[in-house]
Amino acid sequence: MKKLEDKVAVITGGSSGIGLATAKRFVEEGAHVVITGRREKDLKEAAAFIERNVTTVVGDVSHLEDLDRLYAVVKEKHGHIDILFANAGAGTIAPLAAATEAHFDQTFDVNVKGLFFTVQKALPLFKDGGSIILNSSVSNVLGLPGFSAYAASKAAVRNFSRAWTLELKDRKIRVNTMSPGPTETPALETTTGLTPEQAEQAAGQFASQIPMGRRGKPEEIAAAVMFLASDESSFITGVDLAVDGGMAQV
Amino acid sequence: MGKLEGKVAVITGGATGIGRAAAKRFIDEGAFVFIFGRRQEALDAAVADLGPNARAVKGSVSDLADLDRLYGAVKAEHGSLDIVFANAGAGSQLRLGEITAEHVDETFDTNVKGTIFTVQKALPLMGEGGSIILTGSSAGTTGASAMSAYSASKAAVRNLARTWAEDLKGSGIRVNVLSPGATATELAKEALGEEGQKVFASMTPLQRMADPTEIGAVAAFLASSDSSFMTASEVAVDGGLAQL
Repeated sequence: MKKLEDKVAVITGGSSGIGLATAKRFVEEGAHVVITGRREKDLKEAAAFIERNVTTVVGDVSHLEDLDRLYAVVKEKHGHIDILFANAGAGTIAPLAAATEAHFDQTFDVNVKGLFFTVQKALPLFKDGGSIILNSSVSNVLGLPGFSAYAASKAAVRNFSRAWTLELKDRKIRVNTMSPGPTETPALETTTGLTPEQAEQAAGQFASQIPMGRRGKPEEIAAAVMFLASDESSFITGVDLAVDGGMAQV
Repeated sequence: MGKLEGKVAVITGGATGIGRAAAKRFIDEGAFVFIFGRRQEALDAAVADLGPNARAVKGSVSDLADLDRLYGAVKAEHGSLDIVFANAGAGSQLRLGEITAEHVDETFDTNVKGTIFTVQKALPLMGEGGSIILTGSSAGTTGASAMSAYSASKAAVRNLARTWAEDLKGSGIRVNVLSPGATATELAKEALGEEGQKVFASMTPLQRMADPTEIGAVAAFLASSDSSFMTASEVAVDGGLAQL
């Protein structure tokens, strides 16, 4: 039997990178997925890639009314949620001396506030015994120049999973953080504000800092999320699972 | 198809408890498993239950000659090794003030020295795609009365994985720590009694002790390619005990 047979999973930021690879893997394991993203075109392409058992909802996790729309669709279509992968994130690069208020606000609006309400608004639909996975980052314990707002926002995410583990324990809902290291996704080029040359240089630099000597593949991160979503991790809650090739571990 | 199809695994402390549960799960996933333990009777019972894809080798991880015999048997029958679950551990309790040299030596001989040589002696048989799993403990990051030698030894185990991820760079062999919390093995149930089990359950956010099969499932994840981008990590399987 497949590991997520007939489970209903919501994945924010599901149109590319880690979110998309996870949606694909979840469906392969038998789940129905609802993915969100800000751009309709990307979502349509993602749905075509996932092939089946997928619903798309256009929206931004930092807009609470978008989240209400998302969960209204989930409720109508499936009636409940078994798995939530709160994955949508933002991460422009800005050194302390040059960072603007807009940079700070965008980072925290998406990564912290958006994630907070993504989970809160899912709760009425959540089945007892479900699994919530929060996408943090190796940067939650690392110092990376230019990433201070991002790293701080991801440390906040890690700590959400601690309190929520206790708040949701009576409902047997497990809450874990998953912290990927640098991953071969389009995000480095499309969301950080780097030029393609800078992005390539950054990717090389990351690889040299990783004991495994390379960046992760989205499918490798998805496999770890799958593990946390399934009953294979039934005694794991409140953890921060590093999937980082050793980057933040040594 | 199982996710460990055709793999060869060694599990120390494999006759009972967590090691035994992992052996069963690995075999269910298609692996051939060598279990290593000190008591022949327990090994015989385990192999009878685990079936034709299990072999037993009797010995202690703190005795290097025993480890040589273990890997000699693996080499003779299979030639190579994919997975090492260095799981054998010792943990008697003594409060500070009562600690003896023998207690420290026994704890560190098994948990630290035994783990080091279990892994070092396995390496000649391992290659690209190999996975090493070390059993840590929630005690490695928490303080519990009378557990100082044990918890220090498990903190040492966690740190072995950090160094080894660097030492194994370029080999394609991953090394991770699996840190269980309170687990309802036969040994633990006997040692704790009904009341003791209730105390551990109530300390744990999930409000229960783990079933050994739940630890075995995580060992299978770390052994398999599903964790292919994980090395030097610690995976706490403790119901949240040491996480909050």
